[in-house]
Amino acid sequence: MPTGLDQLQHIVVLMMENRSFDHMLGSLKAVNPAIDGYVDGDPFTNPDTNGNPVKPQPLAEFQAQLQPDPDHHFPAVDLQIFGGDTSPNRKPNMQGFVKSYFVQQGDVSHSQKIMYYFKQSDLPVLTTLALEFAVFNRWFASIPGPTICNRAFAHYGTSFGRVDLNPIYPPETIKSIYTRLINANPKHTAKVYYYDTTSSTMEVANLLQNQPELFGTYSQFLDDCKKGTLPEYSFIEPNYSDHEGDSGEEIANDQHPDHNIQAGEAFIAAVYQAIKNNPTLWQNTALLITYDEHGAIFDHVPPPSCVKDIFTADGNATGTGVPFQFDRLGVRVPAVLVSPWIPKGTVVNRVFDHASIPATITKFFLGDAWPRSPREISADVFIEPKSANVDPARNLLSLAAMRADCPDFNV
Amino acid sequence: MVLITVPKPPKSAYNPDRPVTSLLKSHVEHMREAESKLPLKYRSEFYAKAVRTEGEAAEYIRDVTEAILEAHADAARRRRAPKHKRKLEIAAAADEGKDTAHKPRAKRAKKSVGTKRRKR
Repeated sequence: MPTGLDQLQHIVVLMMENRSFDHMLGSLKAVNPAIDGYVDGDPFTNPDTNGNPVKPQPLAEFQAQLQPDPDHHFPAVDLQIFGGDTSPNRKPNMQGFVKSYFVQQGDVSHSQKIMYYFKQSDLPVLTTLALEFAVFNRWFASIPGPTICNRAFAHYGTSFGRVDLNPIYPPETIKSIYTRLINANPKHTAKVYYYDTTSSTMEVANLLQNQPELFGTYSQFLDDCKKGTLPEYSFIEPNYSDHEGDSGEEIANDQHPDHNIQAGEAFIAAVYQAIKNNPTLWQNTALLITYDEHGAIFDHVPPPSCVKDIFTADGNATGTGVPFQFDRLGVRVPAVLVSPWIPKGTVVNRVFDHASIPATITKFFLGDAWPRSPREISADVFIEPKSANVDPARNLLSLAAMRADCPDFNV
Repeated sequence: MVLITVPKPPKSAYNPDRPVTSLLKSHVEHMREAESKLPLKYRSEFYAKAVRTEGEAAEYIRDVTEAILEAHADAARRRRAPKHKRKLEIAAAADEGKDTAHKPRAKRAKKSVGTKRRKR
């Protein structure tokens, strides 16, 4: 078994908010052509409402640009992906982003800002991690819709038929990844770290009400990293709001428009550094950084179809008049896997979505025995289960010796 | 080993008066639904439907999250208490319930939505 995989004891997932792959990491194509982003001269454009082609431009700003918050509910994302084509055999063409943003203010010039992306120098943390470790060219949101149901895929491997922001009350049949771990025999450990009680968790309806013992705060995460008491699986939620905390003003760091992008960069760096500053933890932990969905911001890669879930959202629930069988993924999002056992410059081209998270954790720690959704069963894993015959083509923690050249961030 | 500088956001980035997004509105709604299932003594005085800003949403979310945690902690304490003491507590709680049915939780001061949170 490869040493990095053999030593792996902890998996940490940090899920940020509402930014697409091209918007955050597209600029890296100029640095590494294997990264499927955007460079000036690429043919991808979007028509505005006057029919003029709008090309992506590296003009994204840290804050106060994407106002109002671009519409990322199911009907709007349908327009973004299919460009307004509602025919039965339509194919995704990624031509509706500008048209979709125009709907909100009726301003042609303003609507074009949805095609702006960040320069590499704007995002020193995320872009460094993407270039230093493993970046996923094909990590998609689980459904073409908003936050709550996409985050549900990360916790349960399904959204139980929901495509909106309403609370989700899961049936007893499919347990969260946390419940699976703590109820297993032998018992495993898991925690959801929310930023503080003021930001709280998005998983209110089920986990917070029924299993509050699963939760800890971000300051507890930092403490657990220092003391080496991190659970086997950790899920971190960022700060969702500007608010007064116990030590003063807390700026939202989830990067959801219109929150400040730099605050999110600092948060990602702090999570990374907390793990790296404990040498024991650094060598036996893998950190996945991803985003729940694209926030209605442009991306040029059409989301593929996928295995249907056992649930269906009817035409009223989708808001389009057409039912959805959870057989197509959402828009592409940034996803980076960090570990000192990953070769620098790794680019992964296999298809993943947020169901890959419980799929990976379940297979790695528990095996295949648990009842899971068809979407989770069919999802690819980003860390191979430990075995004597690990496929070297799939294992990302492939180095024979740990790297000694990984970057540090001064946070 | 490379050390990379991480720029900090400007102070002007902080704006608790920012209008709530649909995500925060739904978060408040989820909390409201959760709060409706709590016994009366754990409920806040916030009117969730009146939340308009991030700061207001944050105050309400904190109140309900802490109420849920407190309710579970109280239940755990009762579970651990010796049986005869639990019967006395249940009786005392029943008497108290008659008097405090519509009063807010003791530790939270009365305030209207939108006022600044006092430091604890």
